Amino acid sequence: MGNADVAAEQGIDPIHQFRVEPIIPIHIGGVDVSFTNSSLFMLIIVGLASLLMVFGTSRNALVPSRLQSAAEMGYEFVASTIKTAAGTEGMRFFPFVFSVFIFVLFSNLLGLVPYAFTVTSQIVVTFALAILVIGTVIGYGVYRHGAHFLHLFVPSGVSPILLPFIVLIEVISFVSRPISLSVRLFANMLAGHITLKVFGAFVASLLGAGAFAVIAPLPLAMTVILTGFELLVAVLQAYVFAILTCVYLNDAIHPGH
Amino acid sequence: MANGPDEKDDDAALRARLESLSSKLDAHQAAPGGSGGSNPGDGNQPGDGSLGGAMSLGLRVMTEFVAGIVTGALIGWQLDIWCKTSPVLLIVFLTLGTAAGFWNVYRIATKPTGRGPL
Repeated sequence: MGNADVAAEQGIDPIHQFRVEPIIPIHIGGVDVSFTNSSLFMLIIVGLASLLMVFGTSRNALVPSRLQSAAEMGYEFVASTIKTAAGTEGMRFFPFVFSVFIFVLFSNLLGLVPYAFTVTSQIVVTFALAILVIGTVIGYGVYRHGAHFLHLFVPSGVSPILLPFIVLIEVISFVSRPISLSVRLFANMLAGHITLKVFGAFVASLLGAGAFAVIAPLPLAMTVILTGFELLVAVLQAYVFAILTCVYLNDAIHPGH
Repeated sequence: MANGPDEKDDDAALRARLESLSSKLDAHQAAPGGSGGSNPGDGNQPGDGSLGGAMSLGLRVMTEFVAGIVTGALIGWQLDIWCKTSPVLLIVFLTLGTAAGFWNVYRIATKPTGRGPL
């Protein structure tokens, strides 16, 4: 009985894992800038990524060790993604795209560790990343092309009657980019983690339900399958985020497609 | 309008040009897949033909479409509040947003993951 109550209070609530809780409360001028579990995990992500890169590249062995191999594969993967999506000129954005990709990848993967906090399941974080990407696109586009950047919204060869509508549609399409970029990552992470938690809770409540404990292995098997599936989603979403960053940067480098 | 045969000639020439162009495009599209990069998974489609690639493409299409509509609705709603023309601009921008959503999807369909114009 006691166990079931505890499960009902802690385990069954699938939203509990997304709660942001302050670890060190800090208030500066009425603004809450507390050090939360979210900030802690961001620090852990950055630390792990830096460790991988620093130790992976410290010994430039001709025959790479596992760590060096991982670091080099990450580099080559992002570099080839940028080159196919934005051309060789896009390589000047390599540090930016690489940082974004590694940050999203690490936070997605770390979120799968039990008791870990998934930073990318907070829409604030993903929207901030998306705004950073779109801000870079607009900033670089205006810096590089000036007013010519606005040709992004004016496709060539459209009849003048349709042009106002097309321009409006293009503008809405551009504005929708940060929304789709952030919502996709956030929704994938949120939905995946809630599903995992719900199936895990099924196991717990079935085990505490007398004869029904016989079918408890079914949701357990589902949890195992879903965990593998979530690994796929975690890597895939990081990749999609990176390649869309490249596609949008390509628009900044070559407007007027 | 006495240039009937001329037009026919033009059509044939245009068709020949289109054909040579499409064969060139095919060759160009095949080239990066054959010699592109050292790791096998870096083709233009994420995870060629696998479950992951299909799923990511599907989710991308869905979010792009929904984001277009939602953005149009939000813009129309706020402009309505601002201009005090209650339902008109919402309807107009919802329609435009839907068009933008379809346009986003169309763009994904025509160039799968954004090939650069190189």
